[in-house]
Amino acid sequence: MTLDGTDKHPKEKLIALELRGVCKTFRSDTGDRVKALNDVSLLVHRGEFVTIVGATGCGKTTLLNLIAGLDMADDGYLRLGEDLRFGDNIAHVFQHYTLFPWRTAVSNVSFGLQMRGLPRSERQTRAEELLTRVGLKGFENAYPHELSGGMRQRAAIAQALAIEPKLLLMDEPFGAVDDSTRTELQQMLTDLWQENQTTVIFVTHNVDEAIVLGSRVLVFSERPGKISCEFKICLPRPRNRITKEFTDLFIHVRKSLSGQLD
Amino acid sequence: MTCPFWRKRGTNLPEDVQENRKPWRLSKLLGYPSGDGSGREPRISEARSSLGRMIVPVILLLIWQIAAGWLNQPWIFPPVTRVIEQLVHPLREHYASGSLLSNTFISLLRVLLGFLLAAVAGIGLGIAMGSIRIIRNSLEPIVEILRPLCPIAWLPFAIAVFKRGTLPQLFGFGYTRTVFDQVQLGMVFVIFVGGFFPVLTNTLDGVMGVRRNYLLLARALGAKPMQLFLHVYLPASMPMILTGLRQGLGLCWFVIIAAEMLPGAETGIGYLLIFASDNAAMDIVIAAMLIVGGIGAILSLMMRKIMSGLIRWHGKEI
Repeated sequence: MTLDGTDKHPKEKLIALELRGVCKTFRSDTGDRVKALNDVSLLVHRGEFVTIVGATGCGKTTLLNLIAGLDMADDGYLRLGEDLRFGDNIAHVFQHYTLFPWRTAVSNVSFGLQMRGLPRSERQTRAEELLTRVGLKGFENAYPHELSGGMRQRAAIAQALAIEPKLLLMDEPFGAVDDSTRTELQQMLTDLWQENQTTVIFVTHNVDEAIVLGSRVLVFSERPGKISCEFKICLPRPRNRITKEFTDLFIHVRKSLSGQLD
Repeated sequence: MTCPFWRKRGTNLPEDVQENRKPWRLSKLLGYPSGDGSGREPRISEARSSLGRMIVPVILLLIWQIAAGWLNQPWIFPPVTRVIEQLVHPLREHYASGSLLSNTFISLLRVLLGFLLAAVAGIGLGIAMGSIRIIRNSLEPIVEILRPLCPIAWLPFAIAVFKRGTLPQLFGFGYTRTVFDQVQLGMVFVIFVGGFFPVLTNTLDGVMGVRRNYLLLARALGAKPMQLFLHVYLPASMPMILTGLRQGLGLCWFVIIAAEMLPGAETGIGYLLIFASDNAAMDIVIAAMLIVGGIGAILSLMMRKIMSGLIRWHGKEI
């Protein structure tokens, strides 16, 4: 089930992102053609929290890179909302190498502001505020290697939020942290999203995470990657995992992910 | 046999104990901390190791002294005492060529000037070549041909081009009666060549090895091309740049001694060395050699200290 709701949502300004029939093929080192994305269509509205769930290596990252402008699609139509521009108000949080190892936490967070030419004192103040907001008060002058995995991802989120993004792309940002830290980070991200109402596209291979975070969950099928199913999540936030609704949804998403639905 | 032959006794001991059991380690002899760099070692072994550090040189010096006395040909093999006597009087004038100290100072000045030029040019060109494909492809053949060339081979060419021009003359001062009159442009050029290639190739490797993720991250956060150079390429390749600088400085110090020993030089520690040798003053020759070696070690140590201070993050990228 793909979504093509252009006529349902005529208001242009509400659209953050639109993809229609996007394809992408890679050529591997051995010369074989690998179809990473096949006919992906997607419409994301302003303020939505869209999670994309799929197995590792199914093309989710490719999709995110296309949206971010880090790669070009072979075929199809991709349009960003009017005022969205890469390098300006689209932020990207990666799973690994999310911070510059030669910069302290506060200097990492203020990187985007520094690139925009803000004076030192101002960016310092704003970076410190953001670090406090993500719970890293007191670690301003720590280097990334002195922080734990969870703390690094907190700093990475603060770094992305510093440029006040209108679209936040997250590529398995909590993939490398342990379970309890992951839950904490999910809670923090939900809070931040509820405060700022930024549009978020969040890629994960964790079904539970996709349901806890997303206002919409897109299930990505493998080889070639395409959106096979979509779930609208209306559970109230903060979401409780130990409810019947949640587990029902979990089973549903899980089934559609492994192709057992319908 | 239960254990392989390469496994020495006591390998099941804690690591720090093993570390201290090693009778000698190059890093310990040179005096910088080994292993994780934390420098924490038990105090007893500290005293023992500094004693151990002293004992071999002292024995060697004793053998030298006895052998020299027995040989009794000081113009070939002077006793230690005569060399030390030269070293503790570094201001003594030797013939027309000046003292040990003044000549050392002149050599250092030449090296520092040539090395600074090499560092600036090498880092700049290395970053440009590493990040811009067109520049790399067009310059790489030239670099590959000039790089293996011994810097000394440039000396005849440098003397032909710069004649006997000195640094003050370059700026129109003529003869200034200062130490700068001894800084010949030809010498500086040869030093520059010596330092340039290690800095360039290491910087190039460093820049080419910058993780693509850091570039993507910086671009996503709004870095423009010039800002990428300054805030990503430069800091990310800093470990390699500093390695290049250390190698380059070492090579510069090699090259200056050789260059000063060749005809055309009138000052410098290398010149004093060859001049003393021509006058059968072997005590001065050996004193000069010790000074050259000592300064080389100090330069290397200084660079290492600067390195470890600047790039504490190195090897800890996550």
